[in-house]
Amino acid sequence: MGFIDIFRIEETVPGVASDVVFSIGAFPVTNSFLFILFIAVLFALGGAYVVKKFTLVPQGIQGGIEMIYESILSLVTSITGSQKQSKVIFPVVATLIIYIGVANLIGFIPGLTSLTYQKVSIFRAPMSDFNTTFGLAFALIVVINLISIKDFGILGYLGRFFQFRELIAGFRGGLKTGFEATISFLIGLLDIVSEMAKVISLSFRLFGNVFAGEVLAVILLGSIAYVVPALWMTLSILFGLIQALVFGALITAYYSSSVKPETVEREGH
Amino acid sequence: MDLESARLIAKGLALFSMFGSGIGEGYLIGKALEAMGRNPDVSGELFSRMIIGVALAESTAIYALVAFFIL
Repeated sequence: MGFIDIFRIEETVPGVASDVVFSIGAFPVTNSFLFILFIAVLFALGGAYVVKKFTLVPQGIQGGIEMIYESILSLVTSITGSQKQSKVIFPVVATLIIYIGVANLIGFIPGLTSLTYQKVSIFRAPMSDFNTTFGLAFALIVVINLISIKDFGILGYLGRFFQFRELIAGFRGGLKTGFEATISFLIGLLDIVSEMAKVISLSFRLFGNVFAGEVLAVILLGSIAYVVPALWMTLSILFGLIQALVFGALITAYYSSSVKPETVEREGH
Repeated sequence: MDLESARLIAKGLALFSMFGSGIGEGYLIGKALEAMGRNPDVSGELFSRMIIGVALAESTAIYALVAFFIL
């Protein structure tokens, strides 16, 4: 197969754990961590530019950014269904969506992931590291539960999982409603497992999409390096953006189901 | 049976769950297209909801792919 070799590019398949570039004392700094910091610095610079240079009447790139803002706001409002809730959760969700979107897209700038330092590449897609996605998902679900405790009080929060009050009221109403109350009591217990399943499903969905995309890109480059990887990269761009949207939409839905539903107020205009 | 061949067989078996994901996604997209045909005004909103639903239904297939790479 000597002639076919000019159509291939050999690269090592990335492992699940990212490589340590250097260590500060006992703290290993991995390449995905460096990329996270790099993107965060880009965001800070972008934020400074927005604050200084944007005017009341949008021109140029300001129109594009306002369009992204409005579309994320309409998505969040349509999921929560109330303006008050979306005002609380919108900054977090918009940052999440834009950060994950940029993190998934910035790998396509040529040359950025090829910079190496002592034979180890210093940049790696941040969402292809399970620590990143697990940290994000775990921290967000913990915060959503803390907000729920703050809203309902700790007894009300526990009462959602251990529905003793509904059980007693159901059996007081008769045997049939007693059985229904038992079933909803067991479902309330299952909700505890479902909280952990939320963390695992959120983190694995994002990690799996990005990591599997990278591994398949390496495998494709190893077989045919012309034309075919471009198709796969197009799909990667699409999937990266969609997964960012799905992550943000799910966090909004989890938040909206964990706070008190808003009563419809009649407004006089 | 030694460990290496058992591992390879496990890798192959882990991919069986992608079956259900394909069926589920096809059903979801079919329902979305039917609803778009009934009510063409909300086509845009239905399409974006469908994309989110497809990404959610894809997640078990992604778990299987990750398990394949980890094994």
